[in-house]
Amino acid sequence: MLLNPADRDPAATRRLAALLAALAILWPLLQAAEVKPGALFAADNLKVIGGFLAAFLPPETGIEFLGYLGKATLETLAIATAGLALAWILAVPLAYLASGAGREKASLNPVSRFLLTLLRGIPELVWALLFVRVFGLGPAAGVLALGLTYGGMLAKVYAEILESADPRPARALRQAGAGRPAAIAYGLLPQAAKELVSYTVYRWECAIRASVVMGFVGAGGLGQLMDQAMKMLNGGEAASILLAFMALVMAADGLSHWLRRRLEKPAAPRAAAFGPGMAGLSLGLAAAVLASFGFLDIGFGALFTREAASSMGEFAANFLAPDLSGEWLLKVAKGAWETLAMSAVGTLLAAAAGLLLALGRPRFLFGLGLNALRSVPELVWATITALAVGLGPFAGTLALALHTAGVLGRLYAEALENAPAAPNQALRLAGAPRSIAFLHGTLPEVFPQLLAYTLYRWEMNIRMAAILGFVGAGGLGQLLYFELSLFHYAQASTVIAAMLILSVTVDWGSAWLRRRSA
Amino acid sequence: MSFALAGVGLTHTNGFTALADIGLQAGQGERIALIGPSGAGKTSLLSVLGTALRPTAGDFTVLGAEPWALPAGTQKALRARIGTVHQAPPIPARQRVVTAVLAGRLGQWPAWKSLASLVYPADIPGARAALARLELADKLFERCDRLSGGQLQRVGIARVLYQAPELILADEPVSALDPALALATIRLLAAEAKARGATLVASLHAVDLALGCFPRIIGVKAGRIAFDLPAEEVTEALLQELYASEGGALPTLASEPRSAVHAAASDGAGRAACC
Repeated sequence: MLLNPADRDPAATRRLAALLAALAILWPLLQAAEVKPGALFAADNLKVIGGFLAAFLPPETGIEFLGYLGKATLETLAIATAGLALAWILAVPLAYLASGAGREKASLNPVSRFLLTLLRGIPELVWALLFVRVFGLGPAAGVLALGLTYGGMLAKVYAEILESADPRPARALRQAGAGRPAAIAYGLLPQAAKELVSYTVYRWECAIRASVVMGFVGAGGLGQLMDQAMKMLNGGEAASILLAFMALVMAADGLSHWLRRRLEKPAAPRAAAFGPGMAGLSLGLAAAVLASFGFLDIGFGALFTREAASSMGEFAANFLAPDLSGEWLLKVAKGAWETLAMSAVGTLLAAAAGLLLALGRPRFLFGLGLNALRSVPELVWATITALAVGLGPFAGTLALALHTAGVLGRLYAEALENAPAAPNQALRLAGAPRSIAFLHGTLPEVFPQLLAYTLYRWEMNIRMAAILGFVGAGGLGQLLYFELSLFHYAQASTVIAAMLILSVTVDWGSAWLRRRSA
Repeated sequence: MSFALAGVGLTHTNGFTALADIGLQAGQGERIALIGPSGAGKTSLLSVLGTALRPTAGDFTVLGAEPWALPAGTQKALRARIGTVHQAPPIPARQRVVTAVLAGRLGQWPAWKSLASLVYPADIPGARAALARLELADKLFERCDRLSGGQLQRVGIARVLYQAPELILADEPVSALDPALALATIRLLAAEAKARGATLVASLHAVDLALGCFPRIIGVKAGRIAFDLPAEEVTEALLQELYASEGGALPTLASEPRSAVHAAASDGAGRAACC
């Protein structure tokens, strides 16, 4: 390019290669995700979505419907609370077994680690779908599905939090002859308690969103109601449900924020470990969990009868012989590729939209918009985008992009607020326009953080993309839904294995990219 | 006329008065050192000159314009003609040195060029030349977080050299450098200003450096101008009074505080060695 080789940028070749590689990967992904912006404006699509959205106003306010809505809202809340309680019971022993914390030799337990991957790798919606087959429609399937997936997630994060605490106090206790439980309780828990509680509360918030989504496969609550309203294209009811849902999510958001702020306060000096406030909270928590189980009336007794056990056994046995014929594998591979494409393209679109929204002014207005995008789960978005662009991967991609833009936008905005201001201000002082000063002065500072957020979100989206097919958005989910409704368990088993492999692969890929950018 | 201040005051929103009743004029091409104890208002005065802070009282013109009466576009064009060396180099840690230096001209370049330069540095020879004057040419493609504090401070100076402004403001520009390098770097700034006819205003911690390299010295104390004299007329008594609050020893280039007598003795030698 230039005559003097010393004046050539030595990084240029590497950058060009990376760009070409990115394009070479992205182009087929765009193809597979069937991104066709034109479909958004196709006349008949516009008519369907326009008619549906027009019916949103006014929202349904009939007394009878509001009664159903209230009951469904309570049910959703109860499923989330009961499911998380179950998850917690599962997570504590698993975390204890899987964590290297408090061990004198850091031997990781491969069996419990594998179990955790299995529990987390299969999305809660798939668990719910399976449990609905065994236990029939109703909240029991939702509670169990939440318990298993969130049990896996909580256990993994608990184990990591304990491992990241300063190990010296626990080690000293072990060397003084204390057992591992005592060493963890006295050496590690005091350091990690706040983070553990805070993460659990955050998960409860997520469980509420998840329990709505599971309603779409018949696990009760607001989701089931929404599914019915969408199937009948009843815009007024859908609008009321969406509003109730946003209110619920925001209330949970507020409650969780308040609880976490309480954790920040230093403990009062007193002899008892629990003050009156703490005791009240614990009692309230216990009451909420009991009330949830009572309200749902699951009848766990029936789950542990001989009949239930044998039917569960039979059902599970169906999955032990996956269909590995070449023809079916090819079909699954195509579904997996489509799912990967939806997750990658959806996350990329969300990153771009999220950054723009995070920079928007006035802040509070855009903050409100981000919250609205975020509080509607991907699956609910997918039912709406499917109306707007027709069934297929593009609807799923758009749904992922809409929800993720809300999540990423909020995270980006926080990261940008915390970025050092000096480089940007110095450039503005030298006359640089606002946008240029942002690109040269602020973005380089926060880029690794933004990238890490985006990649974490991609890991979540690959799991989500796998199930968006349940509402007709293509990929592995559509295959699974189809095969399960035909009772083809061997084929379904292959699809579930593919989901597991895909999510583990994406975890690896994302960890590799994060390491490279650090 | 490079800049003029009449009755300028700066009171922060918390009620603290950083500057009071400053009257000051400088012709184009003057080289001025600001000295005084820490907290005296040197940085505040430079911030007002650089249009970073808007004075809360008085009249202020710089490079023939009243910056706070200008529309946004014209204000940007004015700011592009003022270059500031900041005490803590305001450079993103993960940026490459070449990009950090070229950022000096972001106020002068059209938007497309600024954007393109993020992908491929727009003027590699220009950045190399600026860095070479600070003996950092070999760091051209290094990332800034791999540099020492002193190297990073000189990258900040290279950025202003590349910007080639008509008014150079420098806030403790050599605070992270060893004495020999500090002297050489201040000489470089002074020579650059002289060669291009640019005005240079630098706040300096080391009194001997100020007296040795700058024809005009302004003493700042408690937000006011204590004296404004040619370097030859700055007496030992004036300096002692200026730094009375710092315990009697004058701050000089060497890291340990030397006695006032010592400083005065080295004064002439320093001046001869410098400009």
